Amino acid sequence: MVENILQARSAFPEFSLSRYHQLTIAVREHITMVSLAAWDGQSEKVQSVIQSIYGHSLPQRPVRVGGMEVSFLWFGPDRWMAVGERDGGRDLEENLKRHLHGLAAVVDHSDGRAVLRLSGARARDVLAKGLPLDLHPRVFKANDVAITHASHIGVLLWQVDDAPTYDIAVPRSYAHSFSDWLLDAAEVFSAI
Amino acid sequence: MGNSSYRSKTGGLIDRSQTIHFWFDGVRYPAHPGDTLASALLANGVRLAGRSFKYHRPRGILAAGSEEPNALVELRTGARREPNTKATVVEVFDGLEAFSQNRWPSLKFDVMSINSLLAPIFTAGFYYKTFMWPAALWEKLYEPAIRRAAGLGRASDDPDPDRYEKLTAFCDVLVIGGGPAGLMAAVTAARSGARVILADENFNLGGRAIDDASVIDDQPAAQWVCAIEAELDQHSDVRVMRRTSVFGTFDGGTYGALERVSDHLPSPPSGIPRQRMWRIVAKQTVLASGATERPIVFGNNDRTGVMLAGAVRTYINRYGVLPGRRAVVFVNNDYAASTARDLVRAGAAVVAIVDSRPGSTDAVRAVARDVGCPLLDGAVVIDALGSQRLKGAVVRNAAGSTETLSCDLIAMSGGWNPNIQLTTHLGGKPQWSEQLSTFTSGVLPPGMSVAGAASGEFSLKGAIVGGAKVGQVALTQCGYQPVDCAIPSAISESAAMSPLWRVDGGRGKAFVDQQNDVTTLDIELAEREGFRAVEHLKRYTTLGMATDQGRTSNVNALAIMAELTQKSIPQTGMTMARPPYTPVAIGAFAGHHRDKHFKPTRLPPSYAWAKSHGAVFVETGLWLRPSYFPRPGERDWLESVTREVKTVRNSVGICDVSTLGKIDVQGPDAAAFLDKIYMNAMASLAIGRCRYGCMLREDGILLDDGTVARLGQHHYFVTTTTANAGKVFQHLEFCRQWIWPHFDVQIISATEQWAQYAVAGPHSRALLRKIVDQPFDISDQEFPYMQVGEMTVCGGVQARLFRLSFSGERAYEISVPARYGEAFMAALLEAGEEFDACPYGTEALGVMRIEKGHISGAEINGTTTPTDVGLGAMMSRKKDFIGNVLGQRAGLLDPDRPTLVGFQPVDRGQRLRAGAHFLARGVKEIAENDDGYMTSVAYSPTLGHWIGLGLLKRGPQRIGEIVRAFDPLRGYDTLVEVVSPVFIDAKGERVRG
Repeated sequence: MVENILQARSAFPEFSLSRYHQLTIAVREHITMVSLAAWDGQSEKVQSVIQSIYGHSLPQRPVRVGGMEVSFLWFGPDRWMAVGERDGGRDLEENLKRHLHGLAAVVDHSDGRAVLRLSGARARDVLAKGLPLDLHPRVFKANDVAITHASHIGVLLWQVDDAPTYDIAVPRSYAHSFSDWLLDAAEVFSAI
Repeated sequence: MGNSSYRSKTGGLIDRSQTIHFWFDGVRYPAHPGDTLASALLANGVRLAGRSFKYHRPRGILAAGSEEPNALVELRTGARREPNTKATVVEVFDGLEAFSQNRWPSLKFDVMSINSLLAPIFTAGFYYKTFMWPAALWEKLYEPAIRRAAGLGRASDDPDPDRYEKLTAFCDVLVIGGGPAGLMAAVTAARSGARVILADENFNLGGRAIDDASVIDDQPAAQWVCAIEAELDQHSDVRVMRRTSVFGTFDGGTYGALERVSDHLPSPPSGIPRQRMWRIVAKQTVLASGATERPIVFGNNDRTGVMLAGAVRTYINRYGVLPGRRAVVFVNNDYAASTARDLVRAGAAVVAIVDSRPGSTDAVRAVARDVGCPLLDGAVVIDALGSQRLKGAVVRNAAGSTETLSCDLIAMSGGWNPNIQLTTHLGGKPQWSEQLSTFTSGVLPPGMSVAGAASGEFSLKGAIVGGAKVGQVALTQCGYQPVDCAIPSAISESAAMSPLWRVDGGRGKAFVDQQNDVTTLDIELAEREGFRAVEHLKRYTTLGMATDQGRTSNVNALAIMAELTQKSIPQTGMTMARPPYTPVAIGAFAGHHRDKHFKPTRLPPSYAWAKSHGAVFVETGLWLRPSYFPRPGERDWLESVTREVKTVRNSVGICDVSTLGKIDVQGPDAAAFLDKIYMNAMASLAIGRCRYGCMLREDGILLDDGTVARLGQHHYFVTTTTANAGKVFQHLEFCRQWIWPHFDVQIISATEQWAQYAVAGPHSRALLRKIVDQPFDISDQEFPYMQVGEMTVCGGVQARLFRLSFSGERAYEISVPARYGEAFMAALLEAGEEFDACPYGTEALGVMRIEKGHISGAEINGTTTPTDVGLGAMMSRKKDFIGNVLGQRAGLLDPDRPTLVGFQPVDRGQRLRAGAHFLARGVKEIAENDDGYMTSVAYSPTLGHWIGLGLLKRGPQRIGEIVRAFDPLRGYDTLVEVVSPVFIDAKGERVRG
């Protein structure tokens, strides 16, 4: 038997943090994501289970509820994405599976999605170069969620705060192409 | 000519404190910042700007804006060389190089101007008629000759060195055009708090108020414009986009706009794009795009020095340049007569005002009196004199007698055409206004309103009032409260006019479309030959089909056609404009997505490991997969692939199969759902077991194949082929949502979550035993063929093990969370060292599946049924499934259908080719005798010769027969023996170990 724990590899091996004028792009390495899809007629039970365990009421429109430890993003009708900090284990997935057994399909996406965090006054300007969504503060606010595309790649995006800070999850295999576009789009802000 | 002899002492928005230099046809000239190439050429007395498209006639500068048909130049050199750029919109920078086009050997002496003498053969539709016969000469002689003679500029052959960006912007109110109407609309909306985008194609705002040096609110227009600009800058939700052409109207309030970020600079600064393509999404749009002046059609009206009157005023007022010293002002309207005032004020002599209207008007008489020049009413210019330089105008007066006026400038105006192109992009037909004698917008695109000259309101006061009003409506529509604000004062000039579509009696050619060299004779010819409908007229004569889309020619042309056919202009109709309003570089449409970035690239989990181990990659869809792993000393791919296949067949190899689609199917009805999807039973699959499955399209044709693993009572995990991963997911989602919405089942893509590796070969279990953590039993007893189980590997890493085989050997697929994929590949190879394990790529994968007769994309090709590929017996007869009913159609059950069999060359040394068609021996090579074709071939290292799979008519009944594999495309004709498609281990014993 090979006696080593496997080394995890970042989906973004080329960089972990890029700073620009009024913009920071950081890789969120320690994130865990688990999707919940309620079985027919079980949505209310799923909601009450989440309420009792995490104290959050699952949203019915594209917003995020929760806090730093774990939050729930609307991910479609009767579907949510639980997002949390990963402490090396699979606690979130296992907890959800245990509590939602027979109520919902619970699937781990912690490795399937690669997440970047954009923060700063220039974040909207950079995203405008590939994301066809209106992120104006009166239109898209903190905790709003969007399932859309950027630079021809499907993304899940949510606004964290009014800095503004956005988290963007892309399918892992696209991470290289996505960051390639994003860093290129941001390049101009290093010159200013 | 080095001195700026035509530059006025004062005036204009140019920066006279700085002198810069540019090159035109190799000569260096001075200019000032704020000049366009056209204004700088005129300032230096350069009139001749290029040669015309067809007749190579000397041409100068007609206009001062983006409607310019003549002064098209080639800009810059090398990779940045750009043809057909309008000198009237090119901003001069220090060192700019420009070249005239369409002349040889020089602009002043052009050999091809002989085309002018050949005019009779270059008339409308000439290339449909003149070069019809002999047809054989078309490609060799006529087309190259025409292209060389008639082409305009030359594009660069080098890759575009610049970067382009593509962005999306949103606003409440988009204002197109920054003239007085647009500025008023924008500032009115901005004051209410609306999000406003103001786009103007020029580098400074103000429109005709600047061109005409108007007075607004008792101050010079330039000053008023500055104040409005400063106010707009104060609003954080207002974006003013200069050098930005809105070129198209699209659905949903979406507009295309091109921002020329760096075209006014020698080269874009680092990181800055040359141009930005904007997709602007607006709730409301104010079109304040102004109007384009109509030329008057008379003899030799294309001579250099014949210029639109509005352009003359622009050069004088905006650029401080005098386009001529002795001018004839030729008008059919009041507005343009004021040109005489500007000319005189700038120091030119006005020889006469020629007004085509008998009696003229008080307004024009006042101008003539003020400037002290004769007014010839009821008179027309019938001919311009001079060749490369205008020498005079032949005027026919009201009494019918002619006289020649010596001049070097004819400032002409036939009235104005509102720039309503953007209103027609969604199908709104322009409407003829009898009152204005021009086309105005018809049905407007949703959310659009029109203001200023674009709406047919030609007076300054009207533009200001109209702009404010339309801006107010727009902001109210967006839910904002209007803020009361004063309307600036301005004069209300008379725009009275009387149409003058063409002047007859001239000796020279009278041009209607100057860019495409279309004359009145061409329109007459089109009429005589029956091409009278405007759309026919356009295509027959090429009128309006040049880069300017006929902005100075369309209305004149159809009015002339109306006269010829004795119809009204509305009866004659108007052609519709299409995007783009002004030309857009292809690079701007691509933005970041060019070359390798055209599409995203997907990297499998072991990509970095494979790259560092010398893999040669192949693009499979978006994925970049290892094709094979060459080792030092191997001469070619075949040697590497042969080694990889032999390693798997004799020991163990590892292949990244993460690219296969992986779909988690969960829910109480998961089993019932999959029974409908797959043609074979899935509900009966035991928990912990896998099964090969095929799904059909509704029409009975194979859609995809893959494996289905049952992880729990209500939990399946299915795989698809790499190529069909997206399509199958879509299919499942469609079936779930629309066909059987009552099924309680959820479908979740898990493709990206898992790094999945095939571990194949006789030693695969021994290798895995070293990887799989101790408590998990993977003995053949506990983990037989087609078993699936969840376990841990490498000391606690979550994993799933499937005992599946594509190679025909004992094999497993093992998956770990994708973040461990790279390390796991290394761990597997390390564990495999004692077995001489090797990684293998898609080539070896393909060879082994052909050796085993397994079907792949070449066989599941959208035309084959399960029976065609030998899987007919797999179709369930006990349940219904998608494709079951239509799969029973007679044509699909025809026993003559080509069916999967194997092939080997009779001469074992020969190579086989996929795509070769099968012919029975001794028949003619014609389509009727076609018996099918070879779908896949490979060199089989196991057998030592080439083998193939193919679809042969009644194939299974013809095993043992020799047929021809005929490949006329590549010139191969090989005798092949029909054999079983399973070349090795026909009994399938190896997979069980």
